[in-house]
Amino acid sequence: MNAIVAQLTARSLLGRRRVLLLLLLPGVLLLLCGAVRLLAGSDTTVSIGVLSSFALGTVVPLLGLIAGAGSIGPEIDDGSIVYLMSKPLSRHSIVHSKLAVAVAVVTVVAAVPTLLAGFVMSGTEASLAVGYAIGAFVAGLAYCALFVLLAVITRNAVVVGLIYVLIWESLVGSFVPGAQVLSIQQWALAITEKVVGSSAGTLGLSSAVSFGTGVVLLAVIVIGCTWYAGARLRKLRLTGNE
Amino acid sequence: MILDNVSRWFGNVVAVNDVTMSVGPGVTGLLGPNGAGKSTVINMMAGFLAPSAGTVTLDDEVVWRNEEIYRRIGLVPEREGMYDTVSAWQFVLANAKLHRLPDSEAAAQKALNTVQMSDVKDRDIATFSKGMKQRIKIATALVHDPQVLLLDEPFNGMDPRQRIQLMDLLHTMGDGGRTILFSSHILEEVEQIAGNIQVLVAGRHAASGDFRDIRRLMTERPHQYWIRSDNDRALASAIIAEQSASSVELVADSRGGSGYSTTGARDTTAALHVEATDVSRFVRVLPQLAARHGIRLYEVSPADESLESVFSYLVTR
Amino acid sequence: MSMPTPTSGVIHDIGYRHYDGERRGRSYIRRSLYIDSLKGAYGLGRSARSKVMPMILFAVMCLPAGVIVTITAVTNANELVGDYPSYVLNLQLVVLIFIASQAPVTVSRDLRFRVMSLYLSRPLERVDYVIAKYTAMASALFVLTAAPLTIMFVGALIVGLPITEQIPDYLRAMAGAVLISLMLGGIGLVIAAITPRRGFAVAAIITVLLVLAGVQATLQEIASAESLDIAPYLGLLSPFTLVMGVQSSLLGAPNPLPSPPGATGALLFSAAALLIIAGSYAILLLRYRRVSVS
Repeated sequence: MNAIVAQLTARSLLGRRRVLLLLLLPGVLLLLCGAVRLLAGSDTTVSIGVLSSFALGTVVPLLGLIAGAGSIGPEIDDGSIVYLMSKPLSRHSIVHSKLAVAVAVVTVVAAVPTLLAGFVMSGTEASLAVGYAIGAFVAGLAYCALFVLLAVITRNAVVVGLIYVLIWESLVGSFVPGAQVLSIQQWALAITEKVVGSSAGTLGLSSAVSFGTGVVLLAVIVIGCTWYAGARLRKLRLTGNE
Repeated sequence: MILDNVSRWFGNVVAVNDVTMSVGPGVTGLLGPNGAGKSTVINMMAGFLAPSAGTVTLDDEVVWRNEEIYRRIGLVPEREGMYDTVSAWQFVLANAKLHRLPDSEAAAQKALNTVQMSDVKDRDIATFSKGMKQRIKIATALVHDPQVLLLDEPFNGMDPRQRIQLMDLLHTMGDGGRTILFSSHILEEVEQIAGNIQVLVAGRHAASGDFRDIRRLMTERPHQYWIRSDNDRALASAIIAEQSASSVELVADSRGGSGYSTTGARDTTAALHVEATDVSRFVRVLPQLAARHGIRLYEVSPADESLESVFSYLVTR
Repeated sequence: MSMPTPTSGVIHDIGYRHYDGERRGRSYIRRSLYIDSLKGAYGLGRSARSKVMPMILFAVMCLPAGVIVTITAVTNANELVGDYPSYVLNLQLVVLIFIASQAPVTVSRDLRFRVMSLYLSRPLERVDYVIAKYTAMASALFVLTAAPLTIMFVGALIVGLPITEQIPDYLRAMAGAVLISLMLGGIGLVIAAITPRRGFAVAAIITVLLVLAGVQATLQEIASAESLDIAPYLGLLSPFTLVMGVQSSLLGAPNPLPSPPGATGALLFSAAALLIIAGSYAILLLRYRRVSVS
């Protein structure tokens, strides 16, 4: 972990346009939850639906994509990462610093708003807000690690990441039951389920994987992607434009 | 820095083909036409590309995947991408801190002074011109006082004054014992500051050493001379009668250009262009010929002993 | 010191010829740019890598159509197993990924490498550039959305289903395809034209469109469950449902979502669609008017 790398990453990640996009998502989430509250009152089933599909299913992955890929992608793209690479600095350290910034950003724009969204929709009932906030945090962590790795591997990280999130997690996950085991969303949901506790089942909140499996798989993804990103960064080719 | 039988291929394309060279203290110019593999060689030397075959070592230490080596190497990359959102001072300071220098601020200040960018150091890099960005790149490469400095096309985008400053800087550092390698197309600069040149053509190492020495080695090509005298035609026939020249050409020189007569005035007289096959004999014989025929020689100068002609010869060979 | 070239200036004949022939005008340039951008959206005429994504998306888009025709044939059904008007709605994710990844290819590259000055130094006005790019993007999307519909139509005819039954819904769906192409093309290009960074443009486009889709879906579900009055109008929130609304209210197509009622509904939805199209065009013009040429 290197503070200088983190500072430089934060400066380039939080450019004006990107900040706008990063704030747009939680803003819309909160507005939507407000609208839902107005239309449907304080209904836990509805809250779960919104939080699972919109917050955890759309907002968090997109923010993880924007923050994760954005923390290293543009620098690889325009070659300015050479200034980090031509230093006596371990490549893993570079990856850790960037990941830390991405995760910090995602916590602020995804986990915290999810907490607020939960409160807006159902107050403190059944600790839904806390549960989903924690789920959003771990999902964000996993997505950031995954997309940092993708950004190191390919120039088209954003599109590939999108295909994973949209097609694999949503479409395939709905039609192919086995695929749900390999979905970050489901793992995060397992953790949420555990936090919400025993009432989860009655409220219709259930994940395709058990808590233990979810935790293990999340850990595997985070650690695995982070390590592999560092390894690939050592072999990064800095030549060429597109 | 030693490259030992280094090759690099990308799929079917061989970018660098069995190159062996040794780069030591002083200024070395890496020369070659576009696509010759200069950037590839520099990237390999900087540890950003692994050789497909052979080894690249600095003081017997392999450069690839060796992060500590960057304490001794400074790289000035060719691409323009930089952290645009920070100021010059912040950027150079960040680079200094990343090197974990004992006194980053002093080092950063010194580097900025060296490239003469201290007065604009608080401006954002995004507002800089191409030449200014180039100087910041050099500052980041110098901030840790490296033993080896690699510059990829450093004169790109610099105006003449900045070029001269950079040449002076490199010259001074080279004289101070640092190992400096830069790649360039601009032959005049290479000629002026590089004591040693390495020529790459289509990935192959075509020549190395002092360019004058290289020229002398190019024996299959006849040496060319300009001769101006007070009786060109007589001298021409005398030279042709003699055996050591293969062709003599009477050339009208109406422009004058940078040719001066001994009186210093611009001359519009003709000149002789001689291709000498046996150089040593020719230079011995010429004064004798002139003396025998009573011809006064005003000027005898080599026509092609410039880096440019060496280069074009090597490239088209 | 070497002496200068002896002869006074030689002009070498490198084969440069002055062109005195006919010069085609703006419309030709516009058409060329249109064709080139359209081909570029599918990676034709570019590297193999740039073909991968659009071709895969095109295949995925057409696959269900093929499956529908096959199942219809195999089961000897009386009508197509799938339906024309909601085909694009069901496959909206594919279309979204297409516009998100190809709009930047069409427009962000020119901005990033600052070739606008090259374009504009020809007899090509900024307006022509915008028109060419917009129509190209919309055409690329139309190819994507119309192909599967046409596959189903032709397949139905081959299987022997009566043409008179197929045509109405097919035409309705085609009209919808035109509309969605124009709308998404506009939105996608507007967002892509804001930034020269391709990765960021992709993220921005998909974010905006997914957020709209997500909000619409969420509110729609709640509103329908509670049978609220506002339910049919929620389709305005997302381009796909907007097109469904136009298809059903204006053209009479079947709609899985609550259909906007009566004339006001039809008017509202159609007006919204046109507004988005016209608005995108206007914003693009504004954006390109301000692009610097230096």
